[in-house]
Amino acid sequence: MMTRCDCARAETLAGAIALDEADETQRDMYRAHLATCGRCRSNLGGERAIERVMATVAGARDAERWEPELRAASMRPRARYPVWRWIAAVAAVAVLAVGVRAMERHPAAATVAQRGTATEQAVARAVAALNTQTAPRREHEAESLTFASPGSGSMALALHLDGRAQGRCVVTKSSGNRVLDETVCRAALRTLSTRH
Amino acid sequence: MRRPAVVKPMEDVYPGAAPAAIARARAESLVLEYQVKLTRYLRRMVGDAEVALDLSQDVFLSAFRMLQADPRRELTAGWLYRAATNAAISFLRRKKVLRMLPLDRDVDRGAWRVDERSAASVDLQGALAQLPPQQSAALLLTSYVGYSSAEAAELLGTTSDAIRQRVCRAMRVLRTVMSEES
Repeated sequence: MMTRCDCARAETLAGAIALDEADETQRDMYRAHLATCGRCRSNLGGERAIERVMATVAGARDAERWEPELRAASMRPRARYPVWRWIAAVAAVAVLAVGVRAMERHPAAATVAQRGTATEQAVARAVAALNTQTAPRREHEAESLTFASPGSGSMALALHLDGRAQGRCVVTKSSGNRVLDETVCRAALRTLSTRH
Repeated sequence: MRRPAVVKPMEDVYPGAAPAAIARARAESLVLEYQVKLTRYLRRMVGDAEVALDLSQDVFLSAFRMLQADPRRELTAGWLYRAATNAAISFLRRKKVLRMLPLDRDVDRGAWRVDERSAASVDLQGALAQLPPQQSAALLLTSYVGYSSAEAAELLGTTSDAIRQRVCRAMRVLRTVMSEES
């Protein structure tokens, strides 16, 4: 149990509370420590104060709108770095660009492209992207899935899975074709729920 | 507190494709998936958009080289965040030793767009500028990126109690910054 002067332990407890990782026992221990230690009470603050400070971090994260454009940035010469490094970066970008085309010509995608409709192609791409990229890790949390969609750049789906492996899907950046988007959503969810 | 989700390790599902094509496809999807998240994290760490773009490019370049050497190598989001954290910390250290740039991490307000110059954003950046890099990393990897303290501990090679303690210390600085503003 915590003694009156165990301020180091109080710091880790405050951190756990801040990250929403503390259970009720730990919260009680923290409250008990604050009741006896004026220094921690003013330095660390109660649970309400901790929540307020952490809300600032979440607020900053949610307000962020900056969309860095890495490819464009990498084409600019930089005096700070030696020339070979710049060349290597440009080469890498070129290889990546070739990679996208190579991926589009990938056997599996190509077969679909020959015989399939635009919807089938999009579904195949969504499923391939789902397999290589991402899936909701925690229940009740949304996960975004980005994949290349023919003719319309990239499409982003927000997938959401509940405890019974039943999902919801929202198109965050629509390709403009609602029928296509819905089909892709359903296919993505089907793939996802068979895996869980 | 709501945390953003962190993505699982990626799996290979390109059966029968040439190794080089797999490497390129995986590198491409890594860039698509993480360039924004990772560069935003880096900008918070170093407080400068240009530097963040440079460092992020370095991280993806080394990821690409690794995939080129071994296309089936497991490459996780954690690997990217660890590489980014190391890059940011060594940048901040280098900056301090060489004194080529101002010593303190100034917030380059010019490069932060109006819509993200919210009170929360400015307060957070003000606090991050004062914090030792290890504390900034602990705070950002958990509450900003979405890792648990145990996951962040694994990334930074420490214990989850140490992460919680760093978060607590970072929080104290942030609290001071917030009370100065109001």
